[in-house]
Amino acid sequence: MGGCFSDVRGGKDAVGGDLPRPTEPNAKNDGAHNDAIELFYRAHGAYPLFTQLELSFSASKLLNLDVTSKSDPMVIVYLKKNDGKLEELGRTEVILNNLNPVWIQKVSVAYQFEMVQNLIFRVYDVDTQYHNVPVKTLNLKDQEFLGEGSCVLSEIVTKQNRSLTLTLKGKNGHGGLRNFGTLTVHAEETIASRSAVEIKFRCAHLDNKDLFSKSDPFLRISRTVETGGSIPICKTEVVDNNLNPTWKPLCLSMQQFGSKDNPLVIECFDFNSDGNHILIGKLQKSVADLEKLFKEKSGVNFFIPSSRAGHEKVLKGQLFVDQFCEKEQFSFVDYISSGFELNFMVAVDFTGSNGDPRKPESLHYIDPYGRLNSYQQAITEVGQVIQFYDADKSFPALGFGGRTANGTVSHCFNLNGNASESEVVGVEGIMAAYANALRNVALSGPTLFGQVVNRAAEIAARSLSSNNNKYYVLLIITDGILTDLQETKDALVRASNLPLSILIVGVGNADFKQMEILDADNGQRLESSTGRIATRDIVQFVPMRDVQSGQISVVQGLLEELPGQFLSYMRSMDIKPLTFNAAAQASRALEIL
Amino acid sequence: MAANSRTLEIKVISAENVKLDRKSIKKNASVTVRTDTNSQFCTTDIDTEGGAYPRWNEKLVLDLPTHSKSIIVEVHCKTSSGVRMVGTATVPASDFVGEYVPEGYLHFLSYTLRNHKGERNGIINISVRMKVPEMYACASSTTWSHSTMGFPAAGNKSFGGGVVTGVPVWYGAYQKNY
Repeated sequence: MGGCFSDVRGGKDAVGGDLPRPTEPNAKNDGAHNDAIELFYRAHGAYPLFTQLELSFSASKLLNLDVTSKSDPMVIVYLKKNDGKLEELGRTEVILNNLNPVWIQKVSVAYQFEMVQNLIFRVYDVDTQYHNVPVKTLNLKDQEFLGEGSCVLSEIVTKQNRSLTLTLKGKNGHGGLRNFGTLTVHAEETIASRSAVEIKFRCAHLDNKDLFSKSDPFLRISRTVETGGSIPICKTEVVDNNLNPTWKPLCLSMQQFGSKDNPLVIECFDFNSDGNHILIGKLQKSVADLEKLFKEKSGVNFFIPSSRAGHEKVLKGQLFVDQFCEKEQFSFVDYISSGFELNFMVAVDFTGSNGDPRKPESLHYIDPYGRLNSYQQAITEVGQVIQFYDADKSFPALGFGGRTANGTVSHCFNLNGNASESEVVGVEGIMAAYANALRNVALSGPTLFGQVVNRAAEIAARSLSSNNNKYYVLLIITDGILTDLQETKDALVRASNLPLSILIVGVGNADFKQMEILDADNGQRLESSTGRIATRDIVQFVPMRDVQSGQISVVQGLLEELPGQFLSYMRSMDIKPLTFNAAAQASRALEIL
Repeated sequence: MAANSRTLEIKVISAENVKLDRKSIKKNASVTVRTDTNSQFCTTDIDTEGGAYPRWNEKLVLDLPTHSKSIIVEVHCKTSSGVRMVGTATVPASDFVGEYVPEGYLHFLSYTLRNHKGERNGIINISVRMKVPEMYACASSTTWSHSTMGFPAAGNKSFGGGVVTGVPVWYGAYQKNY
C-alpha cells in the first residue's frame, strides 16, 4: 500500500509529439475526427448533430499517496451510459511526482447536442512502471485511487471560458473529512487537418541549474487559447546532463498547434526527479517562425519572465531548429474520394442458439405480417451504411453454422444457395438470400467465425495482385456466443496485415464479453496459437441493443473504428490517395512529352 | 530461373516489454535474424536508449534457401557480464509466403518472444518483404494506380472543348503478359 517508488524513467518520457508503431492507428493526429461519419450524414443532407471536442486537464492539491515522493497522477475519463455502466473514453499520460499537475495528453469526445452525456473523471496515482508503456494498458487494480469528479459535458461547454473546476470526492461520492483536491476540465473544438510538421530542436549555452552536475533539460510546448492562458501540447524527452542538448524529432499535427501563425510558448525546464522542474528559460514563436529559424539556420534567445513587464532578462541560451519537415496526412475521405473502394461482405449466424425459426421468440423468426426480425433489422440498418460506401453494391453474402442441403454443417456457405458465386446485389439481395437460406439451411452449430474470416482474408489477399486501392470489410452478424475463441483469434491474427477490417454486429441479449476481447480496445493485442501477434486491431464490435436503445446510431457504431483501421493500413504500407499519384505521374509524363 | 534461395528484406522495427531476469532491460538490446538452417545471420545495431521498448527500424537482408521453413529472430542484451540472449521467436515461412498474397508484399508481423525457459518475454515487431526477381519488379511497387488519364493533345490550357487523348498508365498489366 502506498507505493514509495516513482518511475523516474517514465517521468522523463516525451509526451504528445512522438511517433507510434507504423501499424497503430494514430488517433492523436486524426484527433478522432471521424470524417467517415460526417461524410455519410452530409451526403444525406443531415448535418451531424455533434462536434468533436478535446478535453484537457489540470488538478490542484491532489492527495499524496506515495511514501517517499509525491503521487504520480493520471486521469481517466468515463461516459456513464443509461444503464449505469461506465465506458472508458480515454486517459491522459502519467505525470511524475506532482500534486498540481497539468496534463498534456487530451481526451477526445463527441459532444452530442441532443443527448445528456454524463462524464466521470477518475484520478489515479500510478505505482507501476510506465516508462514507454502505452497508458491504456495500465491495469487500474495496481494503481491507487486519488479522487473522482463528475459533470455533464454540456456544463463545460456552456461556460464562457469552457473550463469547469470540480471538487474531487472519494469513491461513491463521499467527501468525508479528507480533502481530495480539485480537477479542472477544459474543452476545445478540434479542427480536422491533414498537415503535420516534424521538428528537431536543439539548444546551446543553457544555464546550469544543477549543483553537482549539469542541467537535465527538456522542452514543453504550449499553445495560447482564445479564452486566455495556454494549454500544453507536448513535451520532449529529458536529455541528462547536457547544456547543449538535441532532442528526438517531435511530430506535431495542426490540430495540436492550431495554425502556423498561432503563437506557441516554448519553455525549457531542468528536470528534477522530485517533480519540481526548474524553468531555465522560455520564448514565444509560431510554427511559421520556427520554419524561418530552420531556413536561416539561426537561433533565438530564451528569456526569463520578470515581475516588471518589459524587463525580461534575455539569456545566453538559444534555441535552434535543426530539422523542419512538413508532412501531409491524408484523411479517410481523401482516399475514398480519390477512388479507393470499400468492399463489404456479410456473414450471418445460422447456429441453433438463435432459436427455432418457426417460433416467434427466435431471432430468425420470419413474421408473416412483415415485422423484421433482429437479423433483418440489423441487415437493413447496417445496409444503409454499406450501400453508401460500397461502390459496386455487390456483396458476398455468407452464412456459418448451418446444416446445408447436402447434410453437412458448413461454417462458410453462400446464402444465395449458389455453389460457386457468393455475391448478391444490394441490401435487397442480402435480404432475399437470407430468406432463401432460412428455407434451405437448418440451424446447427457450433458458432465459429474462423472460416468466414479466412474466406474474407483470401478475397482481400487476392485483390492485392491486381491493385491496392481496395479495402475489405467483413460484417459478421451473430447472436454472440463463440464456441472456439482461439480458432477465431488465429484467423484474425493471420488476417491482421491485410487490407481488411472485421465488424461484428451482436443481435439479441447475450453477454458479449468475448467480443470485447476480440475488439482489443484495452490494448491487449490478439495472439494466435502459434505465437504470432496481431499486427493491428482489425476488429470492431457493435451491440445492436445499444443502437436500438438510442445510445449510438448504427452509423456511428459501425464507422467509429473503421477510418482509423483503414488509415493505419494505408499509412503503414505507404499507400497514398490515387489523385496524389495521378497528379505526380501526370506532371512527370508531361515533362517527357 | 530456378532459384535455390530467395532474398528476404527484413526490417526489425521494435520490441515491447522485454525483461532480463524478471526486470525490464535498461538498454543495449540488439536483434539477430538467422535462417533455420543456420546458413546465414544478420544483426542490428545496438539500441542505446529504448529500455524495455527498444526501437531499431533497421533493414537486414537474408538469403533464405528454398528448403528453409522459417527464420529465427533473437533479441540479445549487452550487459556488464557479456551478451545474453533475452528472447527468441520463430517466424514460419508460411507467414510471409501466402498462397494468395502477391510476392513482394510488405508483411508487418509481430511475435511473442520466449526466453530460454520458454516463458513469454515481450513482443517483437518486424516487417518482411520477399525480394522479387527484376522481371516482376513493378508488381511490388505500392504506388502505381489502376486508372487511365487523359492529356489534352493540343496542349492548350482550357479543358472545355479541347481534344483529349487518353494514355493508359498501368505498368502491372504490361509485365504480367509474360
